[in-house]
Amino acid sequence: MKKLSYVKKAILTAACIALCVVLPMAFHAIPNAGNIYCPMHMPVLLCGLVCGWPFGLLCGAAGPLLSSLFTGMPSMAYLPSMIIELAAYGLTAGLVMRFVHTKRAMADLYISLIAALLAGRIVAGASRALIFASGSYSMEAWITSYFVTALPGLLIQLILLPAIAFALEKARLIPARYPRTA
Amino acid sequence: MSFLPTGSYREGDSVLHRMDAFCKLLCTILFLAGVILSDSFPGYGLAAGCLLAVTLVSHLGPGTALRGVKRMWLFFCLILLMNTAFFETEQIWWEWWIFRFSADGFFQGLQVVLRVAMAMVLGNLLMSTTSPLELAGAMESLLYPLKLIGVPVRDVAMILGVAIQFIPTFSEEAEAIRKAQTARGARFESRKLSEKAKSVVPLVVPVFLAAFRRADELAMAMEARGYRRTKGKISKRRRHLSRRDGIGLLLCSLFGAAEIML
Repeated sequence: MKKLSYVKKAILTAACIALCVVLPMAFHAIPNAGNIYCPMHMPVLLCGLVCGWPFGLLCGAAGPLLSSLFTGMPSMAYLPSMIIELAAYGLTAGLVMRFVHTKRAMADLYISLIAALLAGRIVAGASRALIFASGSYSMEAWITSYFVTALPGLLIQLILLPAIAFALEKARLIPARYPRTA
Repeated sequence: MSFLPTGSYREGDSVLHRMDAFCKLLCTILFLAGVILSDSFPGYGLAAGCLLAVTLVSHLGPGTALRGVKRMWLFFCLILLMNTAFFETEQIWWEWWIFRFSADGFFQGLQVVLRVAMAMVLGNLLMSTTSPLELAGAMESLLYPLKLIGVPVRDVAMILGVAIQFIPTFSEEAEAIRKAQTARGARFESRKLSEKAKSVVPLVVPVFLAAFRRADELAMAMEARGYRRTKGKISKRRRHLSRRDGIGLLLCSLFGAAEIML
């Protein structure tokens, strides 16, 4: 399979934005799953990894906005901070994937994912400390909410996203990062 | 369909349906600003009255407009309870262990609930009375200033429009996959994290595969019909606003001003 065309990247981004609305709804049928799995993060990270940083950024910004309009979640109070966090995930995942080439698709994927998950959390914490909860947000609160409480979600994302990426590659829906030469 | 999103487009011939989508989007932003700015109960009363009037004008019925809110009743109760029990204030109703129930906390919680509920109804009304294509056009017009910093606004609007159209399809597919996996014995309600993680894989992977397959088919169809990236100068689409659009904008501006004064 050749590289993704611009049109295909655009439509895959649209699909990921739609999944930002649909996946949380599907997960809400499972008890407490929304908090554990952070289902909206998965399409954004995947969009950044597969389609590149501009599309990842758009997916991260538009996904929560459309979800809020369609389902009311996230609520308007959390929407700006969530947009910033998810946009940072999509942007970083795409940027790191573009510049990291270890010749191993799995290693590239994990490096980009971990960098994106860290960068998104740093940006989200900074935005809360400086803008949304200025003066009342501490380092302890940041570590607790983004690393301790979210640890199961982080681990599950690190397991699930590469599995989804390889399933998509196997189904020939996205191109292989390092195509085998015959 | 049990989990079809609340804000799906419903055809109709009401004044709200016939309003220009861009104007409707501006009116929604103005109205939302008014709701966020209001901090007194007469202000919330006015906002609720106006929302009821808009709901009646839309011919959607209060049941449809409030559907999303009704699903969130547990969340709203929790917000109200948390604020009532933990709000820091001197005047306390009743104190027990770590809980400090207060009237100030109750009213604080009520304000949060009212704001969120009204924003939800507003979003629901916009999405239910505007077709995805019109909404994409409206978003293109709204995003037009971003063109100055090189953002391809037409492509962004196209992506958002396609995303909105994908939502009902993906919802149905996700529901079908969830039911199929439950029938095959997936244990979504298990308390163990490892079992929960295992049960989620058969739900998430097929949902992504189905979504990407549909996206792939649509992209191929678009390329076959000659759709290419929009480059160069984009002429701004002229919008012809009717009297009803002007009245709508005027009423929303008046509402915003009244909320600031109340």
